Amino acid sequence: MIFNEIYSAYYNTVASILGALTSGKASERELKDIVEKYAFGESALTILPALKEGRWQLMLPDGSTPIEHRPTMPMTLIEKRWLKAISLDKRIKLFGIDLEGLEDIEPLFTSEDYRIYDKYSDGDPYDDEEYIKRFRTILHAIRTGQALKIEMTGRSGETVFRRCIPTRLEYSEKDDKFRMHTSGKRYAYTMNLAKITKCKPYFGESFVPGIKTMPPPVSLTLEITDERNALERVMLHFAHFEKKAESLGKRKYRLHIKYNEEDATEMVIRILSFGSLVRVVSPDSFIDLIREKLKKQQNCGLK
Amino acid sequence: MSSYNELIKNFERIRAYMREFYVYGIKSREDYKSKSARTYDDEKRRMESWLGDHMSYVRTPEGKNVFISIDSRQCDHNPLYNAWKAKSFTDGDITLHFIIFDILHSPLEEHSLSEILSLIDEKYLSGFDEPLVFDESTVRKKLKEYVSLGMIETRRAGKQLLYKRAEDNVALPDARALNFFSEIAPCGVIGSFLLDKTEHEDHPFDFKHHYVTGALDSGVLAMLFEAMRRKSIISVSNMSRKREEPRRTRLIPLRIFISAQNGRQHLLAYQPEFNTIKSFRVDYLSSVKIEEPTPRFDELRRELDVMQTKMWGVNTKRGIRSPDKLERVEFTVRIEEGEEHIVRRLERERRIGTVERISDNEYRFFADVYDTMEMIPWIRTFICRIVKLNFSNRTVENEFKADVKKLYEMYGLTGGEEE
Repeated sequence: MIFNEIYSAYYNTVASILGALTSGKASERELKDIVEKYAFGESALTILPALKEGRWQLMLPDGSTPIEHRPTMPMTLIEKRWLKAISLDKRIKLFGIDLEGLEDIEPLFTSEDYRIYDKYSDGDPYDDEEYIKRFRTILHAIRTGQALKIEMTGRSGETVFRRCIPTRLEYSEKDDKFRMHTSGKRYAYTMNLAKITKCKPYFGESFVPGIKTMPPPVSLTLEITDERNALERVMLHFAHFEKKAESLGKRKYRLHIKYNEEDATEMVIRILSFGSLVRVVSPDSFIDLIREKLKKQQNCGLK
Repeated sequence: MSSYNELIKNFERIRAYMREFYVYGIKSREDYKSKSARTYDDEKRRMESWLGDHMSYVRTPEGKNVFISIDSRQCDHNPLYNAWKAKSFTDGDITLHFIIFDILHSPLEEHSLSEILSLIDEKYLSGFDEPLVFDESTVRKKLKEYVSLGMIETRRAGKQLLYKRAEDNVALPDARALNFFSEIAPCGVIGSFLLDKTEHEDHPFDFKHHYVTGALDSGVLAMLFEAMRRKSIISVSNMSRKREEPRRTRLIPLRIFISAQNGRQHLLAYQPEFNTIKSFRVDYLSSVKIEEPTPRFDELRRELDVMQTKMWGVNTKRGIRSPDKLERVEFTVRIEEGEEHIVRRLERERRIGTVERISDNEYRFFADVYDTMEMIPWIRTFICRIVKLNFSNRTVENEFKADVKKLYEMYGLTGGEEE
């Protein structure tokens, strides 16, 4: 259904090569650059020789092509069906796009066909027109480098003002929330979009934005006892981190993970969720965080 | 002797390898005993070519372990999608593809098969020393394939069938929207195919808690969605941790359950053989064949809707007609001053459960579920403030408490209350 060569990196690369050739001859360097950009690491060994040797009869011996028009491909039905499916997702409103022409297309899936059963229930308000407006202002500002003046609700409910240049939008599927990474005046901030109450372009005095240098990820080493399929569960649970695993024998495994230290609190509870099948081996500072939780639990009087 | 090709004909083998390399990455070449060494080397080389820097190595006493390591927060595009863009083809396939769409370069161009054949020979291939030869049946087959994919339309004029490019009446959406949904929507790889048609160097999004593994199951998932849209029965091969070989089974697929917390995808389906609605891991399913529609689909989906109010995750009751054997799960947490965020946590994470305040600083959670065990990992995340447990499944409650004691021992806390 979707594993088809028409979607392949090779077809895209050849389309781009033929596009270049239809507007005139392309140099060897230009052709190699196209392959490097659109195909895989070893593709240059195949694509250019196949064209030059006439196995794929699309490039004549003199380097021109019998193809007359820049190659384009109509959208396939499954592509339209997928687009129809996302057009039914309420988050599509954030982008202000009109997916016309899909009226008679059957969606590939609807919200009735799948369920994300463990995402948190206090996700961002995607139906709120004001939220949508702010989202678009931020998205535009990221593209143009426009500074913004932000009004938001602080931790204790107070109103906070910020001037900043948004750099990235981060989305968490688990939290179902967007956060904005910014560089601000002197400082850099990360803010939850839902906490922003006002947001407009800032044209006041220019400022040199503070750069948020992401601290390097920190290492964490775990020991896993592979009972009740724990190894697979742990590996899947932490699959989204840069990680390395090794077998210690006797159903014991060691897992090295790199994570952002600002997420330490979350990591502690994620590790505790595996109970005694996962033990933190290092660093000591992280072990202390676990011990602290356990000591508090000992004082809860749970019999 | 066949030579190495970085493209592949069949996705299933690479699906298994990539999963093994990505999820585990703890096996050395010698551990892949069931496969030939050559197969292992070829698959590894392909992945290196597709994934570049995401492939890593570690030397162990057992040998060199190869694994895929992806920090998904640093990737604005799922690298595993590349596997879906590596389908092999013949010299004739690619030549015909570009020639056909050049002949049918606009929806206004309409040609019969014989006209297309003449144009291929006379206009496109005559400049080659040894032109490829395409017979009528090959070209007809290719055109038919493109008709089924929705790229070409046909019209009958008298006895002739005329072919033309399908109208492109759907504009390609903004690349930022495609980028976002290709990462977070089911079957996102299709969005990635569309994204390939755009110039998409600048993406504004990062993704946290982003599980990319599901990409490998996109083919199966697309088939399951299709079956649900058609309200049809499927036959499918189902692997199991307990069995070496997959087993063929018939199911009525009802809904896909996706976890945002570990990326696992399950199919909830009715299994006529056991008269039960149960979950099947999508990564264990393969070779989906859609059979006839069933009149029972709507009734069974309604049944699942009702069951969902008692499901914490994906586990269900035993038989569809058997009475609900529910287990009550209750626990109480104590919060300290300034820990109101814990109450908010309980509220946003409670799913089918209820949270009530029982004193100034104590909150009780309770739920009736089919399977207490499924809730245990979540309840453990409240360790440091659990003051009371009350599970109707006493065995699970006792196991929970014993495990907490084991944790105390593991971290050198000998048990008993600390001052």
